[in-house]
Amino acid sequence: MSILTGRQREKATAALVYALLTFGAVIVVLPFLYALVTSFKSQYEALQIPMRWLPSEWHFENYTEPFRRKPLVRYFLNSTIVATCVTLLNLLTCGWAGYSFAKFRYKGQSALFLFVLATLMVPIQVIVVPLFTLVQNLGWLNTYWGLIIPAGTSAFGVFLMRQYIMGIPTDFIEAARIDGCGELRIFFNVIVPMAKPAFSALAIFIFMNNWNSFLWPLLVVQHETMMTLPLGLASFESNYSTNYGQLMAVSLMSAAPVLLVFAILQRQFIQGMALSGLKQ
Amino acid sequence: MFVAFSLYPIIVTAYLSFTRYDMLTPPEWYGLGNYASLMQDPLFWQSVKATVYYVFGTYVPTWFLALAIALALNREFRLKGFFRALYFTPVVMSMVVVAVIWKLMYHPFGLINNLFSFAITQPIGWLTDQRLAPLALVIMSIWKSTGYFMVIFLAGLQGIPTDYYEAARIDGASGWQQFCYITLPLLKPVTTFVVIMSLLMGLQEFTAQYVMTGGGPVGATRVLALLVYETAFNFLKMGRATAISMILFFVLLAITWVQLRVLGDREEAQA
Repeated sequence: MSILTGRQREKATAALVYALLTFGAVIVVLPFLYALVTSFKSQYEALQIPMRWLPSEWHFENYTEPFRRKPLVRYFLNSTIVATCVTLLNLLTCGWAGYSFAKFRYKGQSALFLFVLATLMVPIQVIVVPLFTLVQNLGWLNTYWGLIIPAGTSAFGVFLMRQYIMGIPTDFIEAARIDGCGELRIFFNVIVPMAKPAFSALAIFIFMNNWNSFLWPLLVVQHETMMTLPLGLASFESNYSTNYGQLMAVSLMSAAPVLLVFAILQRQFIQGMALSGLKQ
Repeated sequence: MFVAFSLYPIIVTAYLSFTRYDMLTPPEWYGLGNYASLMQDPLFWQSVKATVYYVFGTYVPTWFLALAIALALNREFRLKGFFRALYFTPVVMSMVVVAVIWKLMYHPFGLINNLFSFAITQPIGWLTDQRLAPLALVIMSIWKSTGYFMVIFLAGLQGIPTDYYEAARIDGASGWQQFCYITLPLLKPVTTFVVIMSLLMGLQEFTAQYVMTGGGPVGATRVLALLVYETAFNFLKMGRATAISMILFFVLLAITWVQLRVLGDREEAQA
């Protein structure tokens, strides 16, 4: 028998859970904090045993100097352009394909859908060689086309949209059709508004993945001017790997946009992710 | 477009894996040559080992950790949203940023050795030691991916009607019994998703290894995904690289199939 009463026990459990959660939170935050303080340190102070948490003098130029070494603004623009276009394209293609799988019946549909599902399981390494040759033959290396078009649709997105659109009553679509709506108008005026949660989940998911993607840009881009942020950071790292303060500054700056968006749209991010899991 | 950029490449990959191809001259038929020579290549087997270590080392702890955190967060209390968002933050970061920061933390004079400086006499080279580097990558990956699966588990937990727990409590079921007989069975579809998803993510991961160790030291962290990249784009052995990726693909298919089978059987048994 426990010596604690039920109420005390409940309280003790809650306290323990709180303590553990806080401990976990510290572990999550520690790397960010370390990067932040290091980003203001001089090259010599960055790595020491025992370390000083705060820099003895604050090197704010760590945040300006990298701009002179690498075209960081350009990286940022490239990332923004590519991720935005990829997201818009995905919304269109996945939305359309999802709609057609959900609400139309045609020959070979189930076979086609099975293929989509199968490709969901294919790691990018499996298709990377032919994809690269294809893009090379199209003359798309070092272009926005090469970065954007192959990422323009995703099996995951099609699947997500199909599942969601299936839940929309067909009556609405038929009513619109009787009212003389064309298929395009039905899509934009009926499907898009009704499937808004799925669309926004997809948008967040695709944007984040693309903003952070590394392997594909690494293959397609060789020129400095076409690099996206992750590539730029990796290239900064390999050129100035001992410039720790600046390296951390660049890391944090390139993470800042995503972190900012996450801070604002936190609820939507998490719900979108959860949606992606539950619809499976 | 879907066909052009997803389906077509898979078929071409399958074809190329039976050829020798250096991208400069047309592919040349090689039969099962690529597969045969891979089977005898110690580098390939080392890579298989590194991959198995990385994937299971990372995701098995991640599953338990993510489920534990999800359970802890699956109640109403202040700061719940705060913890959830905080734990999720590593997920939204690019792997390159995370890898660059952790690389510095693992530096002999970096944060990790500083934290353990009371216990060690000499700075440890986490990423340069053959035995420690795989572990270092695993720890970093657990840090990075737990938040994602936590959110998935949490969503699954919230889908379980609270009536079930109430009924169980009235019947005198303990917390542990409730977990075993209500939570786990009802969470099964979510668990399936988590397992498959994490294997898929794990097998694809190569950024961390590429940035932090370059596959080293002495190939200890050269996972299959990285081996494919090196074989294809450093050594221009496209045929061989595609053969490795086909193996990767079939392993993944097999795991998925087994997983679905096992779960399917269990569900039938329950019904």
